[in-house]
Amino acid sequence: MKFYVNARYLIVPTMSIIAILGILIGGAYAWVGVALFGLNTVIDTLTKDIHLPADFDDQGESYGTKAFQYGVMYFMLPVFIALQIALAYRIFQFTAATPLQVDLFYGIAYQSGINGINLIGAVLSSGLWAGLGIIYGHELSHNKKEGFLASRLIMALSGASHFTYAHVYNHHLDLGHEDDPATAPRGRNIYAHAWLSHMGQSRFSYNLEEGRLNKQGKSTLNADNRWILGYLYSLPSLVLFVWAGGLIGVAALFVVWVIANFLLEALNFMGHYGLIRTQGAVEHRHSWDNDSVFTSWFFIEIGRQCDHHVRGETYFWELDDVEGPNYGIGYFSLFVITLVPALFRRYVEKHLVNWDESYATDDELAVAAKFS
Amino acid sequence: MFKIFKPSPTSYQVKLAGSDTEFSVQRGESLLSSALSAGVQWPFKCKVGSCGTCKCQLLEGKIKPQLDFSYVLDGSEIQQGYILACQTMLKSDLLVSLNLDE
Repeated sequence: MKFYVNARYLIVPTMSIIAILGILIGGAYAWVGVALFGLNTVIDTLTKDIHLPADFDDQGESYGTKAFQYGVMYFMLPVFIALQIALAYRIFQFTAATPLQVDLFYGIAYQSGINGINLIGAVLSSGLWAGLGIIYGHELSHNKKEGFLASRLIMALSGASHFTYAHVYNHHLDLGHEDDPATAPRGRNIYAHAWLSHMGQSRFSYNLEEGRLNKQGKSTLNADNRWILGYLYSLPSLVLFVWAGGLIGVAALFVVWVIANFLLEALNFMGHYGLIRTQGAVEHRHSWDNDSVFTSWFFIEIGRQCDHHVRGETYFWELDDVEGPNYGIGYFSLFVITLVPALFRRYVEKHLVNWDESYATDDELAVAAKFS
Repeated sequence: MFKIFKPSPTSYQVKLAGSDTEFSVQRGESLLSSALSAGVQWPFKCKVGSCGTCKCQLLEGKIKPQLDFSYVLDGSEIQQGYILACQTMLKSDLLVSLNLDE
């Protein structure tokens, strides 16, 4: 049981490393990260009706090894750094016009040099897996002091270090309310939400710092401004890619950051779309659960949003099915649907009607009426 | 001299000032979660350190804050020893003041 519980949360670490190896081996293997994303969508769709518990005892203690599961989250920081270095290495080869040839590295064949098509594959793979890796940045944002810094560093690799503060101090406090940029109101599509949520969270994070510093009698333009520091944490990535490929490097990093942040905001979009909270504490009904087996294991139980938002201090391996609102499918499947806004609106309509009828309070229904 | 090698206690005691309420906090548990497990009607809302509902005043003892309290508590509250129970780990036994009427 211990091995099973520990191993099932290793899908992202394993696939991230495979994506890195694909970029390093080169040639068509640079696309391996994209192919894995597609494969995951198929698996998630095929297993949508399988739901398994998180496996913990009556005291909420995981059957797995907590230290191991905790350690894996920290381990992902160097993995994501390696992902960026692997891409920068390929961009360097592309801009330096390194000849395409097969070389050996300790007996393992790899392609030295990279063509434009495969470089696109490497950029897309990096963006997708940097974005999927954001689940660790999220989980660590709720953990101990040192976890918060690790979260900031992981998010900074995607140019989104502001997320950590905005998520804890804004999203968890204002969930379902118009003051939470990460909650998508009814009628908004994923593309608009990605921009509005990203900018809204960054603005919140700036205002939060401004308020904290001003309370201490300090100027906002201060070396202790953690909003500014967060973006400075992203500077090593920028320097690496400028060094590796000049403008091409910057363009590649920009694409990686756009994809990664789009996936991050897609999770916010899917987690709370159209749900409304007017007052009082956050309850299970203010989130959508996505707890099909592959989503649960791949996204380290982040799909158990209903429980997570009520017990924000709880580790992912202790989150439970609380019978809250549930889309009934996994994140990969739902993500594909959200990409086509008209399709998503049709899909989500019956779920929103059910939420209005089964979960909403009168006050929440009054707000919902404004959107219909 | 060899204090560094002394194992730290596995739990600490917390006493609420002005009442008979006392409960223990296991190492690795937060002040709030232990209080709730012990049946104390401690006010809370978000449990992630963002709302300030679980604040209390530390009168005696040492703690390890898990998040920066200054985003939620103002300067005078911090000077008076206010802390957020949901983001507080213990480094010693504590005496805290909690307004249960709030």
